[in-house]
Amino acid sequence: MAAIAGSATASFARPVKAVNVSPVSFAGLRKDNVSFRLQPVPQRFTVVCAAKKETVDRVCDIVKKQLVLPEGTEVSGASKFTDLGADSLDTVEIVMGLEEAFKITVEESSAQSIATVEDAAELIDNLVSAK
Amino acid sequence: MHHRLLLRRRGAMPLPSPPQPAPRTPGVAGGRLFASLPSPPPLQSRREVHVWYLCPDELNDHSQLDMYKELLSPSERKNALAMNGPRLQKDAMLSRALLRTTLSRYTDAKIDPRSFEFKKNKFGKPEILWQSDGSSMEWPLHFNISHTSSLIACGIAMDTLIGIDVEEKKRKTVKNILSLARRYFTPSEVDYLAKISDSDAQQKEFIKLWTLKEAYVKALGRGFSGAPFNRFSNQLETNNRIQISKAAKVCNDSDSGCDYLSENWRFALAGLNSSYYMAVCIEDNSRGSENGSVPLGLKVWKTIPFIEDTLVSGTDAVKLIT
Repeated sequence: MAAIAGSATASFARPVKAVNVSPVSFAGLRKDNVSFRLQPVPQRFTVVCAAKKETVDRVCDIVKKQLVLPEGTEVSGASKFTDLGADSLDTVEIVMGLEEAFKITVEESSAQSIATVEDAAELIDNLVSAK
Repeated sequence: MHHRLLLRRRGAMPLPSPPQPAPRTPGVAGGRLFASLPSPPPLQSRREVHVWYLCPDELNDHSQLDMYKELLSPSERKNALAMNGPRLQKDAMLSRALLRTTLSRYTDAKIDPRSFEFKKNKFGKPEILWQSDGSSMEWPLHFNISHTSSLIACGIAMDTLIGIDVEEKKRKTVKNILSLARRYFTPSEVDYLAKISDSDAQQKEFIKLWTLKEAYVKALGRGFSGAPFNRFSNQLETNNRIQISKAAKVCNDSDSGCDYLSENWRFALAGLNSSYYMAVCIEDNSRGSENGSVPLGLKVWKTIPFIEDTLVSGTDAVKLIT
């Protein structure tokens, strides 16, 4: 029997993604010899829920306001802050804007790991739900 | 093709082809050009910093830009293209071209700008990756790059960590200065800023402090969270020295790991072209240099690589604040 932690199937209400997953070999697995473990995942995996669309949209607005982007610039979840031309002062202002908008406090170490709009939105959702 | 591009240094011997890890496009115009990067005066000591900068808005000649593009590695080119829009793409490309040509100058033109390889330290700070097979020489060069929308600067130091930050003096923040300072700076810095009643002057002092702190964090190379701004103060003292000191309250707990915030750091702050503040920070382990210590030596060039270099330090273009 094998236990697999990985992308969820459609039976989950919200899409789930697992990060830091080691590759799993699927050779020799059939439907009847595979079990899915629906228990809490081992500590070395972090399961992060994809951010709410509403949060992503709000983050996009704050980013657009801060960076004064050219008209028609597309900002989405996948947008990387550095690719949008945000420098460090922009980034701290964005973080402050997010803190004010969502009434949260972002630690510098968390802020540093944010690369995309989606990352920021996920962090915000986690901080908001932890309140 | 401008004939100026084919200038050779007087008395230069034909240069051997530098060791190259991977084949690059043969017959590229840039191939012989790196011989025309004149060697700058050498870095005299660990306390000397050289800064080379260019202004992207002034570089619009397509054949020049293509020439710079050819210096980049495939991954650098890819990263530049991932930037949002032609302006940011051009800046990203120029930034790498500036870095490569600048480094090449300090290797006695023995290393072609295209040959450099880079790696990141564990905190993500870029460093030169020298070939370890003994086939090429090494120089103890350290570098750091800073961008503003209108200027890209590359700082170089010998054998010591370096950080540089350039910012437009008039840069307007979206957030209020004091709330930014309260969120990110130390209490003593907030007090210092709060006492300035003129908002323009206050904004300028904020930018000065920002560039100093950024330069320090970039020199440390641990990332923004590696040395949170509110754990150390940069004080512009009356005798024009910049003192860096740990913020008393925050650093008293032994577990908060402020040990890396050692005080062996030397700063220079200058006005550049009356439009920018530039802060440079290097590590300085020399002991016994307390009062009256020799200030950091700073030389600044404006460059159009392969075309023209202009020494601007020692003129009105560079006004030392410290």
